[in-house]
Formats: sequence, structure tokens, C-alpha cells
Amino acid sequence: MLEARAFEPDFLRRLDGLMLGVQRARTVRAGRRTLGRVQGLGIEPENFREYTEGDDLRFLDWNAFARLDELMIRTFRAEREVEVTILVDASASMGVPAGDDKLGLALGLGAALAYVAMASNDAVRLGIFTATRMGGTRLHNSPFHRRRELYPAFRPFVTGVRCGGETRMADAVGRLLLERRGGGVAILISDFLVSAGEYQQALDRLLAARHEVKVVHVLGEREANGDYPPGSYRLRDSESGEICEVAIGPAAAQACRRRAERLSSELAQYCANHGVIYSRAFGAAHFEEIIMREFPRLGVMR
Amino acid sequence: MGLLNPRNLVYLASLAVLVAIYLRARAKPTLEVSSLMLFEELSAPMASSRVLRTDLLFWLEAAALGALAMALAGLYVLRPPPPAHHARRAFVFDLGAGMSARDGRTTRIEEARRAALDLVNSARPGDSFSVIGYALEAAVRQAPSAHQAAVRRTIEALQPMALPARAAALRTALMEARGAAEIDVFADRPATGDALSAAGPGVRVHFHQVGAPQGNLAIIALESGAVGSSQGHLIVRNLSEQARLCELTVDLDSKEVLHITTVLDPRGQSVVPFGPLKHGGVVHAHILTPDPLAADNERWAYASNDKPDKVLVLSPDPDVRDDLARVLLAVNQNLIVTTADPAKFRLAGTPRYRLAVIHDAYDPGIDAAARLVIYPQPWLEHSPPPAGQLPVVGSVAMAEMQERGADQTLGQPLLLSPARILALPSWMSVVARGTDAASSASFALAAFGYDARGATGLLAFNVRDHLLLDPDKLEALVLTIDMVKRLLAPQELQIVSTGDAVSVPASASATIIAPDGSAHTVRADAIGRVHLRPLEAGRYEIVSSAGRSVVYANYFDAAESDISAAASARPARPSAPARPTTKAESAGTMHVAPLAPWLIALALAAMLVESALLARKAMRWRVRNV
Repeated sequence: MLEARAFEPDFLRRLDGLMLGVQRARTVRAGRRTLGRVQGLGIEPENFREYTEGDDLRFLDWNAFARLDELMIRTFRAEREVEVTILVDASASMGVPAGDDKLGLALGLGAALAYVAMASNDAVRLGIFTATRMGGTRLHNSPFHRRRELYPAFRPFVTGVRCGGETRMADAVGRLLLERRGGGVAILISDFLVSAGEYQQALDRLLAARHEVKVVHVLGEREANGDYPPGSYRLRDSESGEICEVAIGPAAAQACRRRAERLSSELAQYCANHGVIYSRAFGAAHFEEIIMREFPRLGVMR
Repeated sequence: MGLLNPRNLVYLASLAVLVAIYLRARAKPTLEVSSLMLFEELSAPMASSRVLRTDLLFWLEAAALGALAMALAGLYVLRPPPPAHHARRAFVFDLGAGMSARDGRTTRIEEARRAALDLVNSARPGDSFSVIGYALEAAVRQAPSAHQAAVRRTIEALQPMALPARAAALRTALMEARGAAEIDVFADRPATGDALSAAGPGVRVHFHQVGAPQGNLAIIALESGAVGSSQGHLIVRNLSEQARLCELTVDLDSKEVLHITTVLDPRGQSVVPFGPLKHGGVVHAHILTPDPLAADNERWAYASNDKPDKVLVLSPDPDVRDDLARVLLAVNQNLIVTTADPAKFRLAGTPRYRLAVIHDAYDPGIDAAARLVIYPQPWLEHSPPPAGQLPVVGSVAMAEMQERGADQTLGQPLLLSPARILALPSWMSVVARGTDAASSASFALAAFGYDARGATGLLAFNVRDHLLLDPDKLEALVLTIDMVKRLLAPQELQIVSTGDAVSVPASASATIIAPDGSAHTVRADAIGRVHLRPLEAGRYEIVSSAGRSVVYANYFDAAESDISAAASARPARPSAPARPTTKAESAGTMHVAPLAPWLIALALAAMLVESALLARKAMRWRVRNV
């Protein structure tokens, strides 16, 4: 399975130079980027700058004023973490087609993103969501881990995931938000084979909770291309169990490609309109290429 | 269009296999997909609900299988022959007595002639025809000729004979016609497949059956009886499925002795007695009731005079002498029969005999008008044989009689007795033939002829051990009685069956007047005899400077005269490659063009297109095994 690849040392070494692309909740000081560090109350002085009107007089450095006769403001670096939550869809559709290993790709990408986020000492957790047999929604989160040394702790969680049930994305997000934690980074990894209303509702909730949201759209290469052996088939929906008889041929394959492309473009358009970073990950064979090239290009990583 | 090998249509069952394969393919596999959402844009996502879901590949496979099956079945079409090809055709006509049967206004031979002339008229210039007739034997009437006018004349001149048509003659005729590509057989009764197979391989035989079933009355026997002492009788048979009235007369030298009308049961016969006759002469029986076949409506017999003729019987065996005397008296009870042992017989002082019967002995030079030699002794003396001694060249321990008369093969060979093999002189004609029981060598068992001394008859088998009185060997007795009758009949008056070889005394040339009144002149042979073979029933008159002779020819054949069932059966198919066709098929001069090459090409093309489609599909879908 592909998720095991995310824990291989050589692969992790290649991720060492990457950082999670976070647009908000970062220090705005010049110089190197400091993830999770904002100006504010802290104990570690960071710099001095000239006083400008409106600065808090509590941070005026009186000693410097006495010596230099200049008003200097002392700035402190406050240690403030960004909570990164990586939600992975573990519905039944993620396990089909079996050869495409969509779930493995999603978990592998999620783990890789977690590793990258942990490099900046961000608090990272993984979560999977699916539906229970009774029709409810199941959201299972791992504990937060902050340092890279603890990254292997995700391994049992990642490798123990089994897909099944329907996709309850909005409910899962609702459950997540019930924890009432502060806004952070939420990365949603799914095939998004749900209605537009479903994923829009989920994304809207995350955005409303002041999360910086990133979307990774996972599809199998075979289903994205409609690459099925020609012939007549009874198609069974992996989640709903609905049956449909179709004759698959060149025209059907083209129709499948068109539909997958439309699904992707609609999701991308929605994300663009709402400030959500959208990344497409079609095909498990392109796992490393997606991480090394696509994610940096789309701003998921830097 | 037709099929050369219809049995091979069984290969069409492969289409059922193909359909079964496609029906099985209809049980589609279930494919689990992540979401049917991806298939929403299929133009017709729901599959067809037809029982048999076919596609182009199915039709290509069906076309290939169907074409191959039809090629195996030998599908052909009839086409006009190529312009450069001159057809060679042979017309084979049944000229047996049945073909003279009248169906309304026309006879069967006229119907056959008309059908043949239609074929000649529809032929292209350059086509050649031959005409062959058969009855007892086959004879080429017209050699292959492209001169259609001559062919027409030959066909129009064809006349049936008062003879039965034999299957062997048809086989001979078909063998004579083997040079032709097509043979048209015109006959009034179906031919067997074995007979038609004589046409040989690759020759198309068209069988044209003419005539409709009809009833017929026939005189099958006429016996004059002994003059002044016993009644004569005639036997008349009804060869139809209905009872028939039959009016008939019996004349003696043109004076009516009987005129009677009788009712005959269906398929029945009646024995009509008459006489006793008051004097000898020619007895003529005639059916007056009109019927389709005239040849068997008349019959002649000879009534010997009641003059007490002397007959000598010479035999070393007293039992044989006794048996022969009984037979002679049965033929004519007015005969004065003298029997003698050859060892004790003294020639001096003997009178002139009407008939001398010599059994197993030399002819000591008896003065007789006729001789019957039975089981002649071989000449073992050192001196040359006397004149009239029949040369014996061998003997067999047991002889079987195989055929009697003109091509009358016995249904079962008759085992006789020891027999002598003779080298017959040219003036004798064979009456019965037989074979050695131990081998198949054929030789003459009975012969008859006239030489300078008069009539001579030969029975080559031994009549010891009361052979002539053995009820299991009745055929030998009949043969002996017939021979005695012929020997006692006057030489200038002969009553024979149609088809028999007849010789009558004549001078250098003679005129033969046939029953239909036609006359033609023939030359006599070296011994002063004219040979003829009557082919019509009736009276033949041979006139020469040596005198006048009369030959009456009787006709009856149980199979040929039965024209009631002739047309009811259809011709049998021969087992040999020669293929008879129906009248409709053979009406035109069409040429059979097999379609097998085209069908095989069609099948190959269908398979090539199918392979191309499959290869294209495999490339498109990147599937190794499509």
C-alpha cells in the first residue's frame, strides 16, 4: 500500500526541505519566514524598531531611550503554534477501483503533509471520516503531534485505516468543529464523489471557523480516464449499492473522462472563489511527483 | 439455385453455437465502481434489454459461418453456359412397347419426341446432340451431330417397338452417351438409380417421365389345343385397378370360332376355352375392346393338323425314351411315336419321319423333316463326322439354365443335369443359355435353326432321371415342348415372340412385308435363308422366288404391358455421381455454377474485417486479450 511509502526514510529525507504553505497565522517580520510566530506577548525579545504612533507604550525600551535619546520599541517573539488538521476521506469510494489505491494515495499524501508540517513544530493531527453502518458519521482523529521525532507515531493510525461506508463530509466537518478549537490549517483529502452541496457545505463550515483550508482532490487514474475493458457490465456503486447496466466502449470512456474533468473543474472553481487552495492528485503512480512538484506549484507546500 | 450436398447443411448448427456463445456473454460481469456519478454523462447508460445482444462482430462471425456452411453444402446457381461453350447433349429414348400407349390423342413416344424437340429448338447453334433408343438393346440412332435438322428428323422417326424395355439396355444406352455433358432420358416408367449411374461421373442426367397411368388388357397366352380332340384356350389379363369388360374373338384361318365378352376383375385374368378345333391352321385371338396398348391385343398360335405324323425317339435309356414319348404325345396326341435303342436301331426300311428325337446318340442318317438332338454325343471315331453331326467341344458335370428366349433372364438359375458344350453352326440361333455350376462360363443350352436338311433343334442338357417330369424343373419341360412345337410347325409358317431371331428359306433376295404394310428387300445368306427380327407384333410375309413364308410375332411382357403404375412413381436418385434432375430443373439449358469459391472468399473477408476490428479495439483499450 502506498501509505507505507510515506514512512520510508529515504522518502522522508526528500521532504526535509519542504514546508507547509500557510498564508495566514505567520509572523510578518522581515527576514526568514517564521511559521507560527506572531508579534505579541512573549518572553523572548526578538528585535528593536523605532517607535511609531500607536505602538503600545508598554513595550517602549526606556533604557535605550536614556542612552540614545530615541524611542525604541522592543518586540518579542511569541511562540504560537498552528494547528494542522488533515482530514482524509475513508469512505467506500476511496477503495474503488482497487487497483488505483486511492485510499493509499490519500493517506500517503496526508502523512507526507503531516511530516512537512511537523518540521515547523506545528501541531499536526490526522483524521479520517466515513459513515457508520447505522447511518451515522464517524470521525476518528489522531492525537496532535508537534515534533518530527514523533512522526512515526502516526504510522499505526495511517496503516490501520480501512475504507467503507458513504461519504459524510459535511457531517464530519461539523463534528470536527464541535471541538471549538481555534482556527488552523485544515487539509481535506477526498475523491469528492459527492454532490457539490455536500463538499461546499463542508468547506464553508471550515472557512467559517477561520481555518485556512486546503483541498487535495484524489482520483484513481483508471476512473479518471474511464479506462475500463470494453464490454457490457452491471455497474455497482460502491457506496450506495445502486446497480446500472452499461455498455462500456470508447464513447463511454470519453463520457467518464468528461465527467471527472467537470467534477474537478467545478471543485477547483469553488475553491478559487473562496480562497481555498485546490490541488489535484490523480493517480497513485504519481505520488511523489504530486508531493515534490504539484504541491509546491499550487502552494500547498513551499 | 440449389444444393449439391444438402446433408452438409448440418454445419449451420454452428450458428446456434455462436448464438449460445453470445447469449452466454449476455450474462454480464458486475463491475464495482467508486460512484455512478462518473457515468452520468453516458448518452445511453442503460443497456439494451434484447435477448440476443448482437454487434458487428456477431454478424461478421455469423456471415463467415453461414458462408462456410453453404459452401460445404454445395450451393450453386444455374447460369446460362458461357457463349463459347458448345453443349453436348444426348437424348435417350425408351422405345419399349409401353411408349406406344396412347394417352388421349397422343402416344407416349409423341410426348417424348415433343419434349426432345423443344430442347433441340431452344439450343444454340453449335450444340451437338445424339439420339439413342433402347428396348431389349440400345442402339445409337443419331451420332453426335450439330446438324439440328438431322437430329429433328431422327427424333421424329423414332417409333416404339413391341418389346420390353430392359434396365440393362438403358445402362448400355447411358454408356453409349457418355461423351455428352448432359443426358436426357425419356421413358414412361422410372429408372433405378443404379441404371442412371451408368452415365458416369460428372454427367448430368435429366429424367423426363412421360405418360399417365392407364389400364390395359392383354392376351398373355394362346393354346390351340389338339385338333378334333381337346379344347384350346387363351388367357387374357386385366392390367388395371378397375374391373374391365373385354370383348374378344378367336379365328381359325380367318373364320371366327369364338366371340365372347367377359368381365375381368381388377388385376385379374381369365382363361377362355374354345374349340376343339375341327382342323389345323393359324389361330388368331384378338381383343376388340379398345385400350391404350395395341401390341398385346393380338396373338397367334398354330394348330397342327390331325394327320398322324410319325416321330422317332432314339435313346439308349428306356426311361428317357418313355419320357420323351409322353412329352411328344402331350404336344400332339395324333403323333405316332416310335422309340428305339440306338444300338438296336436298324436304319434300313424306316419310313420318313416328321420328327426324329435323338438322345445321347449319333444320328445314323435318319430321314426326317426335323431333328431334335438332345445331349449329343461327341464324335469319338477316327473318321470325319457325318454331315449334320453337331460338334461337341466339351461337357460340364452340372449345368444351370440362366436365360431363355430373348434376354429373358430367369429369376433363379435352374439346376439341370450334365450338359454338352457345342460349337454351334452359324445357321443355329441360341434359344437358352446356361452356365457351368462350378464356373461362370456361359454356353448354349438350347438352339434352333434350319439347314439344308430341315429344322434342327438342340437341347444340350441330359434328360435322364426323369428330368422332364420333375416338377422342380418345369422350365426344362417348357423349353422342350416349345422346341418340339417349333420343330413340328411348318417351315414356311413360324410363330415367334417379338425380338426373336427368325430365319426363313428364300432365294437370293426376298421382300419382307411388315405388319404395318411397309416392304423392303433383303438378300438371303449362303445357305439360302433370310434372317429377320420382328420388332412389331403381327404378321410378317417374306416373299421370294423360292416361295412365300409367313412369320407371326406375338408380344406380351408382364412388366412392360402394365402401364397403370408406370407414371405413379418418381425416378430414383442414383447413388453414383450422375445426378438426375426433375423436369422443371432440366427444362432450360442452364449451367451449374458452384458458389463455393465466392462463399469461402466471403468468409475470409468477414474474418479479416473481424480481426481488424478486434486489433483496433485492443490498441484503443490497451487490452492484450480482446
